[in-house]
Amino acid sequence: MQTTEVKNAPEGRATEFVAVQGGGDTTSASTLLVTAYVVMWALLIGFLVLGWRRQQRIEARLGELDRALGASKRT
Amino acid sequence: MRRRAFDLVAAFTFATFAYLIVFVFMKTPTAQLQAGGLAQKIFYFHVPAGYAMYLSGAVCFVASALYLAGPRDSRDAWAKSGAECAVLFGAMMLASGPLWAKKAWGVYWTWDPRLTTTLLSFLIYVSVVVLRAFGGNGDAERRFAAALGVLGTVNLPIIHYSVRKWGGNHPTVITQGGGGLRHPDMRHALIMGFFAMTLLAALLLWSRARLALSSSRLARCEEEAAARGLLDS
Repeated sequence: MQTTEVKNAPEGRATEFVAVQGGGDTTSASTLLVTAYVVMWALLIGFLVLGWRRQQRIEARLGELDRALGASKRT
Repeated sequence: MRRRAFDLVAAFTFATFAYLIVFVFMKTPTAQLQAGGLAQKIFYFHVPAGYAMYLSGAVCFVASALYLAGPRDSRDAWAKSGAECAVLFGAMMLASGPLWAKKAWGVYWTWDPRLTTTLLSFLIYVSVVVLRAFGGNGDAERRFAAALGVLGTVNLPIIHYSVRKWGGNHPTVITQGGGGLRHPDMRHALIMGFFAMTLLAALLLWSRARLALSSSRLARCEEEAAARGLLDS
């Protein structure tokens, strides 16, 4: 009877939530691991895509210059 | 011939990374919980990415210093390429590190000396890239970017020795009298990581330098063509 009273007493349970520093970490290690690898590869792919786009722009400018030179030779 | 060599190195790099990923995930043992447990496997890419940032920074430094001594398109191209690759590898390191830290330290970021100096160096390289991308292609802009490139690399030794000088949370497993990697598979994974990242850095540095040099030469041709009235602008 006494045990039940203690169990039901307010001080035996959480009556409020208080923010704490460095609380129990529930983040999954595998999630962090996979996220890190995905982010790293995404950065690399983004870098390669930007380089490829820059190369495409250079080729377009080169084509334009080639056409202009060709036109000047004909005239 | 050059193209063929580039393709061969690219294929070899791809194969090395494929092997490394399989080895890290399948063979390398999980580290102790205090080191992050399973998340410690980020280490095998995080540290080589940091090393590749140093490598790219060194290229940027040498090319920038040479450009300041005697301006040439090729030196500017290599300096630009070094800064761009330093940003890429720095971003890889700064993105992966906090994810590992979350498990090992309980927080994503802390103003630890090594983390702070790394972030500073990364931001200097970002400023070089932004300056070269949006600040024009004149000699003054190139010189200013080269000076920044030198400054960014001068900071790299500070990053390396910051742990010894100022302490902090960052692990010192390999250097500064650390215990090292106890398991041979861990050592093998790290060596392979360094090897793969060296190949990748070499490929990216070379391709970006070629791209920057082509762009620079093309801009000169366009200017000359425009001066002769061959182009509209």
